[in-house]
Amino acid sequence: MTNILSPDIKPHPLQAYIERLLQAEALLPDTENNLMQVVGILKSYGVVLDAYAVNLKYIANHQFLLLFPFFKYFNGEITLNKLLKHWWHDRINYEYAEYCMRAMLWHGGGGLDAYLDTDEFKQNCEQAIRAKLKGNLLMQGLHRLFPEFLLEQVRQSAYYSGLGQFWTVMSEIFLTLSDLYDQKRITAIPEVVAHIKNGLVAAAALPITYSVEIQGDRYDLLPASAGLTFLMDTAVPYVEAIFFRGTPFLGTVSYNAQAQQISPDQSRFAYGALYADPVPVGGSGIPPTLLMQDMRHFLPDYLADYYRQSLRGDEDVRVQITQSFQKSMFCVTSAALQGLLPHAANTADAGEQAANQAFLASWMDRLMSSRLAVVNLPSD
Amino acid sequence: MLSALILIPLAGALVISLWPRQWSGRQIWLVTLLVQALSLLWGGWIAWQFDIQQPDLQFVESLPWIDALGLTYQLGVDGLSMPLLLINSLLGGIAVYASSATIQRPRLYFSLVLLINTAVAGAFLAHNLLLFFIFYELELIPLYLLIAIWGGARRGYAATKFLIYTAASGALILGGFLGVAWLGGAGSFNYDVTLAQSMTLLQQSLLLGAILVGFGIKVPLFPFHTWLPDAHVEASTPVSVLLAGVLLKLGTYGIVRFGLLLLPDAWNLFAPWLAIWAVVSVLYGSLAAIAQTDMKKMVAYSSIGHMGYVLLAAAAATPLAILGTVMQMVSHGLISGLLFLLVGVVYAKTGTRDLTVLCGLLNPERGLPITGSLMIIGVMASAGIPGMVGFIAEFVVFRGSFVAFPIPTLLCMVGSGLTAVYFLLLVNRAFFGRLQVAPASDKVEPDVLLPRVAWRDHVPALALALLIVALGLQPNWLFRWSEVTTIAWRSPAIAVAQPLPLDSSEPLRF
Repeated sequence: MTNILSPDIKPHPLQAYIERLLQAEALLPDTENNLMQVVGILKSYGVVLDAYAVNLKYIANHQFLLLFPFFKYFNGEITLNKLLKHWWHDRINYEYAEYCMRAMLWHGGGGLDAYLDTDEFKQNCEQAIRAKLKGNLLMQGLHRLFPEFLLEQVRQSAYYSGLGQFWTVMSEIFLTLSDLYDQKRITAIPEVVAHIKNGLVAAAALPITYSVEIQGDRYDLLPASAGLTFLMDTAVPYVEAIFFRGTPFLGTVSYNAQAQQISPDQSRFAYGALYADPVPVGGSGIPPTLLMQDMRHFLPDYLADYYRQSLRGDEDVRVQITQSFQKSMFCVTSAALQGLLPHAANTADAGEQAANQAFLASWMDRLMSSRLAVVNLPSD
Repeated sequence: MLSALILIPLAGALVISLWPRQWSGRQIWLVTLLVQALSLLWGGWIAWQFDIQQPDLQFVESLPWIDALGLTYQLGVDGLSMPLLLINSLLGGIAVYASSATIQRPRLYFSLVLLINTAVAGAFLAHNLLLFFIFYELELIPLYLLIAIWGGARRGYAATKFLIYTAASGALILGGFLGVAWLGGAGSFNYDVTLAQSMTLLQQSLLLGAILVGFGIKVPLFPFHTWLPDAHVEASTPVSVLLAGVLLKLGTYGIVRFGLLLLPDAWNLFAPWLAIWAVVSVLYGSLAAIAQTDMKKMVAYSSIGHMGYVLLAAAAATPLAILGTVMQMVSHGLISGLLFLLVGVVYAKTGTRDLTVLCGLLNPERGLPITGSLMIIGVMASAGIPGMVGFIAEFVVFRGSFVAFPIPTLLCMVGSGLTAVYFLLLVNRAFFGRLQVAPASDKVEPDVLLPRVAWRDHVPALALALLIVALGLQPNWLFRWSEVTTIAWRSPAIAVAQPLPLDSSEPLRF
């Protein structure tokens, strides 16, 4: 005989956050300090994202099927000065953008991922590859032997382009946010969330396309007819891949993969930006260090001053940037969740309310192990 | 000339404690530091004047004091004491630098530190048994007060235990010295290696027993060591530096100077047993260190292990081994001084030394990366990694002892391997992994934030680390002071083992 459990009628442990989201508030408490940190960090993030986006699109468009792209980070401008700067490491770490691109490619999801497996894409791809390999017998032979290899490279190029297009929009949203804050037209965290949400909604239907030019001919790889759009095909998979799932990298997580300490089911990964531990940041060889190092160059003065006043001052600035960044990412997540609500947040319909509740509760389940509680600790 | 090494810190202590004007803590700190610098400079000047080709006592000063007792103020320096004098001044300066200028009752504190340096310099210089004893006992009181006043929570217990053990040590040594002077038939207590020539073997053995146990407490050797971990744990960082770096050396110095050299026949008899005692002490100290969870206790037990090497080398008594005793004393002084300084920094910043709690201190932004890097240098040096002074000292000890006592030497080498075990445990637990300074809990807590370590606080550890590497790469700078003296001591009476085929006029070459 089996016992039938009574249905769970307890409210969700994170019900308070569900209600906050339904009331157009944020997952992050609305304080002056949080506002300053979030806007300040998003400003420098905007600058960095723009640089990443430019480079991602450059690689997609101009380094197409170059198997040894030595100068892919130079955006076509190779000078001694730039080389020296590159080797001196006082540069934008484009490797971080590629890390995000690969994380998206690996986790997949959304229409972009689905389209890359269609026959239409494969045919378009084949044409582009043929054009590219014209006269290159060695590569043609390689392509015959391993027909999936270059195809996968093109899929990666498509993600280069897709992420580049996504970040171009996001960078614009964040930089406008900073301008509005400087003009005192943004004065609270919910306004930040609303601004981001409006930006996402406004760009939601923006088409995501990709074509390359090979010897004067243009080859469509993601044609407009595929109907890929900004919100559902890049933004949502991005949030899933980068904010939630991420990848476990040694240096921020200690694990023994052979002992199955990392879930073999990648949908259960929880190593993304909302879960990341800021303390190891600054160590070498981990992607977050690259991003924080980049943002450090573009911090607005008020935020740099704020960091300098902390106990360790400039010494742990990358960790402090990570903490602020994590707060800002909870705001972006708030905006995304509000934008994706199945029904209006203030609906009076009980069925719609239940659907909203269920939608948010399913996301809150995933946030249970995130850093939500830590970013909600009172700062200062 | 040598008296200045005693008088400079003594005068400093008097000025600081009796100067009629009110001084701020910082001024007192500065004056003490100047005094220590002066005494280091003076030590350097003496080293400059020191004739390394001359095996005998140099710069001898002799003033009659109480003739009726046979007490003469007789000072001198030779290859055994020269490096130790320099280490005393150096670590004394470092201990002062590492002390807080805002410490409670700075006048008393800093004058006591200077008094310790006075007493230790006096003990290393004294060439009269009674005079040595006076200085040996003089050092006890300031150290007792330094632990009992500025120590940790159980300071009363630790200080009293230290006092009782060291007082017993003093009584045994005094008894031994009286016996040497009276049974030897000498009219005075002046140090003379021929004092014991007329004694029977039984007399020598009894006296050596008393002297060995007396100094064995100070070194400390198993089973007389129990006061040391307590004293270290309760003492403040600068006091620990002095205790490990300088004061323990009085014990090993005493064993070599007043055991090996003064009572050679009995030493000859005891030597195999001393080698076994050394092994027990080394292995016990090392194994006990493995079991510790308090960083400071671990370093303290490692001291017990490393001081055992000195006894092993002294037991072997080949010229190379005796040179090894000096090198190991200096090397241990520098390395343990460095380790205690670093443990002090960790404790000051994290509030704990518990290895079950501390984790990830090498974290580049929020942790103590420079302290951690220096700690890795320190433990590598202690474990005898080539290129650092710990290696060369242990190598000379083992190379010099192997011909006399192969099995005990091999067992001591195992102790050297165990050093790597416990110090890797320490480094792995406290410095690698995710930064953590409090026990893990389910509570939501903000991210760990440790205060920064000022560059000023890195200076003493950096200086010691540099010295450890420099002497490791250029050991000649260390053994040049002692080699002629130790070779000259190679007399048939103390050559327990087959001496190395070396011409005594030829300096040692590696």
